[in-house]
Amino acid sequence: MKKLSYILLISALAASSCKKDNYDGPTAGLSGNFFDVATKALVEQDIIRGTQIEIQEKGYVVPQYLIVKNDGTYSNTLLFAATYTVKPIRTNFIALEAQEVTLNGQTTLDFNVTPYIRVTNASIVKSGTKVIATFKLQQNVINNVNKIGLYAHEDFRVGEPMRQAETERDLNAVSDPNATYTLEMDIPTKDQLKTGKSYYFRIGARIDIGEARFNYAPTVKIDL
Amino acid sequence: MKKYALILAAVFLTLSCSKKTSSGPPNPPEPPDPPPVQEVVYDETGCLFKSYNGLVMAGYQGWFAAEGDASERGWYHFQNGSCGGFKPGCSTIDFWPDMTEYTKTYPSPFQFANGTNAKLYSPYDEETIDLHFKWMQQYGLDGVFMQRFVGEIKNTNPKGKRHFNKVLENALKAAKKYSRAICVMYDLSGCSPEDVAYLEQDWNELQTLFKLFDNVQNPTYLRHNKKPLVVIWGVGFNDNRKYTISDVDKLVDKIKGPTKKVSVMLGVPYFWRTLKNDTENSTTLHTLIKKTDVIMPWAVGRYSNDNYTNVAGAELAGDIQWCATNKVDYVPLVFPGFSWGNLRNDPSLYNSIPRLKGDFLWKQVAGAKLSGAKSLYVAMFDEIDEGTAIYKCAREGELPLHADKRFVGIDADLPSDHYLWLTGQAVKWFHGEGTYNSTRPVR
Repeated sequence: MKKLSYILLISALAASSCKKDNYDGPTAGLSGNFFDVATKALVEQDIIRGTQIEIQEKGYVVPQYLIVKNDGTYSNTLLFAATYTVKPIRTNFIALEAQEVTLNGQTTLDFNVTPYIRVTNASIVKSGTKVIATFKLQQNVINNVNKIGLYAHEDFRVGEPMRQAETERDLNAVSDPNATYTLEMDIPTKDQLKTGKSYYFRIGARIDIGEARFNYAPTVKIDL
Repeated sequence: MKKYALILAAVFLTLSCSKKTSSGPPNPPEPPDPPPVQEVVYDETGCLFKSYNGLVMAGYQGWFAAEGDASERGWYHFQNGSCGGFKPGCSTIDFWPDMTEYTKTYPSPFQFANGTNAKLYSPYDEETIDLHFKWMQQYGLDGVFMQRFVGEIKNTNPKGKRHFNKVLENALKAAKKYSRAICVMYDLSGCSPEDVAYLEQDWNELQTLFKLFDNVQNPTYLRHNKKPLVVIWGVGFNDNRKYTISDVDKLVDKIKGPTKKVSVMLGVPYFWRTLKNDTENSTTLHTLIKKTDVIMPWAVGRYSNDNYTNVAGAELAGDIQWCATNKVDYVPLVFPGFSWGNLRNDPSLYNSIPRLKGDFLWKQVAGAKLSGAKSLYVAMFDEIDEGTAIYKCAREGELPLHADKRFVGIDADLPSDHYLWLTGQAVKWFHGEGTYNSTRPVR
């Protein structure tokens, strides 16, 4: 009889511990916005080679990386409920500390950030065969601005890494907050841009800091 | 028995499959909170410096001694043990002080090309420190942090302790006379964990000996967050120190005490926030920093004129943001240049970080100001071993002979007070006076 109880106990153990997988599926998620701490506007990003959010689940060695959309929002709805260390990396804003976030269902986490550069007073207009961008730069760190650019693509996710045409200028200097910068794109010289079609244009500027990403003004759609 | 085994198994299954629940006896009642400890309140009537914010202060070594002065320490900190003392061909110092205005001087083992003796000063003498503080007032420097090396002031080193106490006594008197801010700054370099603990004893002695917190006796002793400030320099460095972050953490708890007797500024490594390069990779440093009132990252040697913006731009911005988030005040360090060829017996190290007539210093002043810093720490007022001094130093062409070595001078086309004057301009900018930008002002 004693033997039987042992057998029963062992089977009970086996029954309770040998299920193939008793974890829930990835039912949690993390989403939110990157807001400019001063203007409260969304901080524009790049969907390709842009700012990412490194999230590391407690007890796991390998981190995961969430991408951020061009408009400065992000969303990943298939994460495991757990506690994560969360830190944006390769950013276009002043570095943030890592923070611990416990995901319980769909969780919202907004970041209030200071962009390295604010592209202000931006205007993109078509004038004859040219698209002309004018803007000012307000930088929030002392580093040089190494490049400014006007980028065009038929997809609305246009940016420095995703363009069919561009006009760029190396600044390699601290920008002048009072200056109005102008970039022109002469359409006939850009093979990939076809007249009669619509394209998205976006002004960008990159600060000279390690892996810093471009800062942008909002995209403008123009019929060529 | 079979039934019993089944029940057991069922219980086991239930236990292993159920979610954690909070059953069991109710928790015993929490013991009542101890009565809150009343924070100490100081009378700040008549105090001239109630916050470091808005001030530009320098570090003051005061560690030199001259042979023949009353300290009986010989050519302390002029002599270099690695080459046989203080004589032509051997010294710790690269720069030579401009001795024109000193009233008490000592003949040194050095001569000028015309055969006259090159004299030196001793900070052990009251009139010498008086002169230094007079300069501070004249050029506008808000004040100084008196360096106190824990290894120098232990009871096993009575002459060292006497020296540093006399220098502090002279300085407190001069600070009051010239209305300059003054603050004690402990340097933990070379300490054992026991030495770190000893600091508390020394600090208590100083408070009594000099009535440091007496607003009438020492109206210019620096205050911050309504408490007298004390600095502890040297925590979190990854250069194999014998003491730990935890040792300093305990010390901070003790010297603040439950009544929060003092405000504390910590001297931390340059990459303290990201815990890389010169910094120990331990987040306990951040826990400690959050307990304190001010931090000052050590920037000497971390960049030069060419790579300053690249190195410091992101660090300053990130540091200032971190400190604002965590309610700790932040003070960046600026230094005019660096030279330690004689200290290291290596001529390639003369002017190893060139001063460029002040362009390098001003670049850092502007970088700090434009990044949003509210105050500055200037390294240092009188540091001629490492050539960071801003006080009056002899110019090129007016230096003593140094056998097969040489001394480094202020550029011959600049006045010997150039770096004091330039620091004075930085003070004005930080005080909100005048119009300044990233271009070095012209005298």
